[in-house]
Amino acid sequence: MGLRERFLGARAASRPAEPEDDLFDEAFLKRLELLQVISRRLFAGRQRAERKTRKVGSGLEFADHREYSPGDDIRYMDWTVWVRLRHALIRLFEEDEDLPIRIVVDVSDSMSTRGGAKLRYAQQVGAALAYVGLANLDRVGLTCASGAHHLSLPAVRGKGRIFRVFEFLRSSPRGGSTDVRTTCSRVAAQAGQPGLTVVLSDFYDLEGAFEGLNMLRFRKHEPVAIQIIDPMEADPRRSGLRGDLRLRDVEGGAARDVTLSPATLRAYAEAHERFCDRLESNCRSRGIFYVRAPIDVPFDDLVLRIFRQGGILA
Amino acid sequence: MSFAGLSLSQLLPLMGAGAGVITLLYLLRMRRREIVVPFAELWERVTRESESRRLWRKLRRLLSWLLQLVVLALIGLALGDPRPEVWLRDPYTLAIVVDRSASMGGPAEAESESTRLQLALRRAEEEIRALGPADKAVVIAAGAEVGVASPLSGDPATLVPGLLTIAPMPGEADLPRALALAGHAVADREGARILVITDGAVDPAGADALATCVEGDVPCAVARVGGSSENVAITAFAARRYPYVRDKIEVLTEIHNLGDEAATIVLDVEADGVSVGRREMTLASGEVRREVLGDLDAARARFVARLSRPETPGEPVGLPEDDEAYAVVPPLSPLDITLVSDGSNLFTEAALLTLDDHIRLSAATPESARLGTSTELAEADVVIFDVGDELLPDTLPDTHVVIFDPWRHETSPCPIAKKDDIARPFLTEQDLKHPVLDHVVLKDVNIGRGTLFQTEPGDQVLVRSLGAPIMVMREGAHTVVAIGFDPRQSDFPMRMAYPVLLDNLVRYFEQGRAGFVASLPLGLRREVQLPRIGLNPEGVTRVEMEDPSGATSERPVENGRVFVRALVPGFYSLRSLDGPLAGASVELAVNQADVHASDLHDRLGELQLPEAAAADEPPDPAPLGEGPLWTLVMLAVAALIALEWAAYHRRVTV
Repeated sequence: MGLRERFLGARAASRPAEPEDDLFDEAFLKRLELLQVISRRLFAGRQRAERKTRKVGSGLEFADHREYSPGDDIRYMDWTVWVRLRHALIRLFEEDEDLPIRIVVDVSDSMSTRGGAKLRYAQQVGAALAYVGLANLDRVGLTCASGAHHLSLPAVRGKGRIFRVFEFLRSSPRGGSTDVRTTCSRVAAQAGQPGLTVVLSDFYDLEGAFEGLNMLRFRKHEPVAIQIIDPMEADPRRSGLRGDLRLRDVEGGAARDVTLSPATLRAYAEAHERFCDRLESNCRSRGIFYVRAPIDVPFDDLVLRIFRQGGILA
Repeated sequence: MSFAGLSLSQLLPLMGAGAGVITLLYLLRMRRREIVVPFAELWERVTRESESRRLWRKLRRLLSWLLQLVVLALIGLALGDPRPEVWLRDPYTLAIVVDRSASMGGPAEAESESTRLQLALRRAEEEIRALGPADKAVVIAAGAEVGVASPLSGDPATLVPGLLTIAPMPGEADLPRALALAGHAVADREGARILVITDGAVDPAGADALATCVEGDVPCAVARVGGSSENVAITAFAARRYPYVRDKIEVLTEIHNLGDEAATIVLDVEADGVSVGRREMTLASGEVRREVLGDLDAARARFVARLSRPETPGEPVGLPEDDEAYAVVPPLSPLDITLVSDGSNLFTEAALLTLDDHIRLSAATPESARLGTSTELAEADVVIFDVGDELLPDTLPDTHVVIFDPWRHETSPCPIAKKDDIARPFLTEQDLKHPVLDHVVLKDVNIGRGTLFQTEPGDQVLVRSLGAPIMVMREGAHTVVAIGFDPRQSDFPMRMAYPVLLDNLVRYFEQGRAGFVASLPLGLRREVQLPRIGLNPEGVTRVEMEDPSGATSERPVENGRVFVRALVPGFYSLRSLDGPLAGASVELAVNQADVHASDLHDRLGELQLPEAAAADEPPDPAPLGEGPLWTLVMLAVAALIALEWAAYHRRVTV
């Protein structure tokens, strides 16, 4: 980092984002098409939109028994059990239903530092995932959320709706604090039916990051955590920050006077790494798919990595 | 230190104001840059862990403040253009004369564990370190030999290593030569002066030279590094065989208390590592005592005497060099005596034959002596001429000679001249104390005729006839004893005194013979005659000398003489490398045995030197050899600023 950037760090942080038109330009669309082709090859042989919910209903595949209660359709009574045990049980079937995909993009202020590189990256990844999902005839919905905002795009189907997705991402509000728990609560509350919920965030929420994801899982969702990381922020030793500074959180709060020495910077980098590792281990222990997404990795490479690891859309 | 630029009164306010400004700036709180971070919560957690290091941060700030003050002080110093006093005075040329006599190895007064020479060298180094950019110095080591330890130079790197080569040397310092050399070395040079560093234990010649130097044109100062003068020394140590019991020996030790107080010491004498005597004695100040250990077995060849104090055995009493002495038993070799006789006086031959257990007697005729055909004459230790009427040879052999009636004829080779002939002389006076006449009574001897001698200064008249010398001994390289009558013309051979006289003569020559005491004093160049230490010089041109440390060196032999360099007391061994008896070796004892060298008294007090001759205290070392000091100060400032810059960028001082 140059001298100017070191001395003008505060102003550089509040630098306006690049024009939104550049976000989903022609080149981006071409890369999406390529992604779709690759995803077809990866998922070849599978039926489209073939996802089963856990909902027990009127499907064809036997799922379970339950006690008969008056009013139940006697067509579903298990007469074999009745004849043998004289016990009235109703047969339950899994209901075949499309699994909705909801992509949640964190638009908090922490995603907008350093020119909003993380937010742009999250939007691009979100758009790519949405495009692949739409191309697979899945129902894809989007939510841009933070502690201050929560705006959702209802689930749509069909590849042609991708431009609505782009438009939604462009026009969504920004700002507010990172509040993963509140965001996930709202997503779960809004969702008519549980589904695959991809959360794109830096998860800079010490206490609530994992709780939010776990709450989604508790609500029968299949949460996927994609942690957007700016390497410069993760390891500030690269930034050249040193000396007596006043640190102010981009999401508000009291400023803190600190003296940054090489040891302090190293300690922060190690603490950040530990934070990410703990989030990852928590997610993996609960079966939540977790991906760490440094923004210096091209978004399409990241998406393909996600596909290959089979966490989502597979 | 003087300031050639701004004065101290100008500098102090400037530096005070600067220090105030720096302190004020440091007291003001530094305006911090504000940095927006996305995850302040984690930052807070990390920085909270380093709160404990706040004290260190404050300390670092304090260090930074101190660093700035030091930089300010150095800049102020540079503005003052500091210059050491040595740069402002006139240059001088200093000749440092370091006394390296044996007494300099004695203990120093200021530091009991250091020797006087160590203090002297330290003082010399201080003088060298104090040289200014234009000053020069030369170091002269004054021992028995005088040498330049460090040549004239102004560079301490050249001068100081020369000091390391100076060690105590046996014997007295040759101060006259050393001071003359020092005077010549600094003569006609700017600010010439001489500094003599000595313990004051100098010999009279050295004291005179110092007095002359102090009164000379070149300023001469004396720095004393004296110490305690207490010293007890072995000034003589020798072993000899009993003349008549050759397998027995006696050992003489002379002990001298050179100190100012009575001293109680223990004398240990060892023979071949076995103690043969131990005596404790108290010697008054200045007392000399001789201790004789007698009746010792001559089979033991090496004797060592050691002095120590009863309460601290093994520790030296004053100078260590004179607390040990060494002696070897003289070799047992018979005295070669040749009797030149016409055969008419058998009494002489009979008297000599009774001594055949420690002499080797051979005979020669007067004719063979005259013709020079007798080889015995050339090899004899003593030649006795008792030729009667026969003529003596034209020249006497190069050895001790006893001549009966040397002036019987008109011509004689006898160096003692004839004064007059005398008929029927009476032997009226004799030197009773002379060993040759020990137990000899001559007063009733009847003599037919005789010769009176003309003596010269130094001649010893053994017997007189009515006051005129009739029996004379002349000592020199070779001793001549002239007896002015013929035994045949007297009744002397018939008397008991005759064989006693011959025995006394033989014993006299035997005791005066080389090798009786085979001991040398310490010295750089000591001449040793091989026969005197029992080594046959025939055909020997080279000998190998082994010193007490076991080091060997080869030395040439000329005319049976060799020069020995003996700087350490102890036993030395000489081995002939060629000649018929190549490989034969003898031992030689080397001792300090020099009362002057062992005397540690400061003799300079007796000289009453003027006060100006007393050297000042050692000068302070010159801070720098050359070059303006302010440039170095500014270099230091630059280095400090560079250090601060690096520390700032490494965030050590911020």
